[in-house]
Amino acid sequence: MEILGVFADLDEAARAVDDLLAIGIPETKITSLSSVPYPDGVLVREKHQPRFYLGSLAFGAVGALIGFSLAAGTAWLYPLQTGDKPIISIFPVGIITYELMMLFAIIGTLVGMFWCMGLPDFRPKPYAAEIAIGAIGILVQTEHPGEVEVARRAMQSSGAQRLCTEEDEE
Amino acid sequence: MNTRDKTYSAARMNEAMLSSMQPPTLRWYLLALVLGAVVAVGLYAFTVQLTTGMVVTGINRPVMWGLYIISFVFWVGLSHSGTMVSAILRLSQASWRRPILRGAEAMTVFSIAVAGLFPLIHLGRNWIFYYLIPYPSQYGLWPNFRSPLLFDMVAINTYIIGSGIFLYIGMLPDLALVRDRSTGWRRKIYGLLAIGWRGTAEQWRVFSRGSTLLACLIIPVAVSVHSIVAWDFAVTLVPGWHSTIFAPYFVIGAITSGVAAVITLMIVIRKAFKLEEFLLPLHFDNMSKLLLAVCLLWSYFYFAEVFTTWYGHKPIEWEWFSYMHDHYGLALFIMILGNTIVPIVGLCFRRVRRSTAALLGITLLVNVAMFIERFLIVVPSLSHKNIPFIWGSYTPSWVEMSIALAAFALFFLLYTLFTKFFPILAITDVREQEEALIGQQQLGRARVETLVNEE
Repeated sequence: MEILGVFADLDEAARAVDDLLAIGIPETKITSLSSVPYPDGVLVREKHQPRFYLGSLAFGAVGALIGFSLAAGTAWLYPLQTGDKPIISIFPVGIITYELMMLFAIIGTLVGMFWCMGLPDFRPKPYAAEIAIGAIGILVQTEHPGEVEVARRAMQSSGAQRLCTEEDEE
Repeated sequence: MNTRDKTYSAARMNEAMLSSMQPPTLRWYLLALVLGAVVAVGLYAFTVQLTTGMVVTGINRPVMWGLYIISFVFWVGLSHSGTMVSAILRLSQASWRRPILRGAEAMTVFSIAVAGLFPLIHLGRNWIFYYLIPYPSQYGLWPNFRSPLLFDMVAINTYIIGSGIFLYIGMLPDLALVRDRSTGWRRKIYGLLAIGWRGTAEQWRVFSRGSTLLACLIIPVAVSVHSIVAWDFAVTLVPGWHSTIFAPYFVIGAITSGVAAVITLMIVIRKAFKLEEFLLPLHFDNMSKLLLAVCLLWSYFYFAEVFTTWYGHKPIEWEWFSYMHDHYGLALFIMILGNTIVPIVGLCFRRVRRSTAALLGITLLVNVAMFIERFLIVVPSLSHKNIPFIWGSYTPSWVEMSIALAAFALFFLLYTLFTKFFPILAITDVREQEEALIGQQQLGRARVETLVNEE
């Protein structure tokens, strides 16, 4: 379950995070929603390093292999002798391998980013349109309905303009 | 700044920066109609070429590359600076880059897409263009990977996809913002494009780091694309082309025309959508300094090559150079004027760098000169190659000119449509900087604004 508190001000939102931590909700279950990025720790502190670059590396390696196979592999499988030129020519093979490696690395970065950001996600989730105009959302994720009520009270007392849950979005 | 002011400010900034997405006016429809009509003329000319054959073009022996390849090189060059400048400025954390990013990145995507059409148009028997793609067919055909033309296809497709991804990723938070403001079917479409972005702390962190990684990946791709285009020329033994300096010379030429085009578009966008509040004289000043630097580099490369040719005085190279000088003297003069004399002299002055009228003139001249430079690379070299008894000349036909003109119209049409359906300024980037400026700190007896480092 998720409950979102919408705050008009960054300081109020930060106070709400402090209050939520004070009542025992762990920081791993709290995140912020904003229309501009804030440095880590201004609202919440991120818990783990995103590893999307692994996607770039893996896809890049696959791209390089495909590029090499296309340019060198097929030349080797179906040799066409032209004068004294080599069957597998270093520069063309290098260029094709490089371009496909970069193409796949870029696609891999996109896939990795989406994976780490949890996108695409079209399920109804707590969200407030005011966030687009500068409001700050503080989101608490929890499995226990009791914790939702505790979080609701904490955010109300911290000055939340309004609160919403997944059910409200549906 | 209190809470209400800040919210009002964010809302007002969103409103101002999305001014280009207001419902179209009559003038907008007229512009789109005129551009569409020019594209239609180009399509008609292409149909004539398709049904009649390449004989309708001015391409001949020995000038087998004409206006299509000139246009191709020009558009690839133009595509260079958008994504590359955006990526370099992002990596160097230049704060002033923010209002420029989106327009520059969109320029790259549309100009590389237009560029990609020209090799296909130039092919002849265009309906079997897909033979270029390596796939097992019943004809047993397989592309020759040793051909620089195939390098082109691979490199351009990589750059189109890479630039498209770079543009889309940068636009993701803004698409969510537009989604939040929209209603009805527009909300559904922007909702699909925003793919569920909410702006969580985790999403922002991945977004920021991922954009930096993408910038690192796209810069070498951009350099490689224009190097490969240069090698289309340089790996042949044609006098004037067979030169080791060609790849870096092409890259610098591409950046020159691209930077000039970004400035031109900034001026037009600023005026058309009343974005004077965001596109400040500072941005023009800084971009002009960049243009000045690349013009100096281009001039250095050009004169280094000409000097070597002149000093070596190899008969065939001197023949080619004399032919260019005698037959295309005026074009050569405009090229030197537009790429060297005017920008280098003019952009030394702060007043010129901050005057949109002067900059519009200079940047347009740079790109006219750059188009001429592409012409002078292709035509004189092919006209007077190594074998004197097949020397010739080239005059483009109406079909080629119509298609080349339609390419300009297509580019502007795509750009015009883009500005109507997508935010032309990187809204969250600009607002992020504004948020950073909101912070204040006591310094001596004054409270001064603080600028938070991006990372």
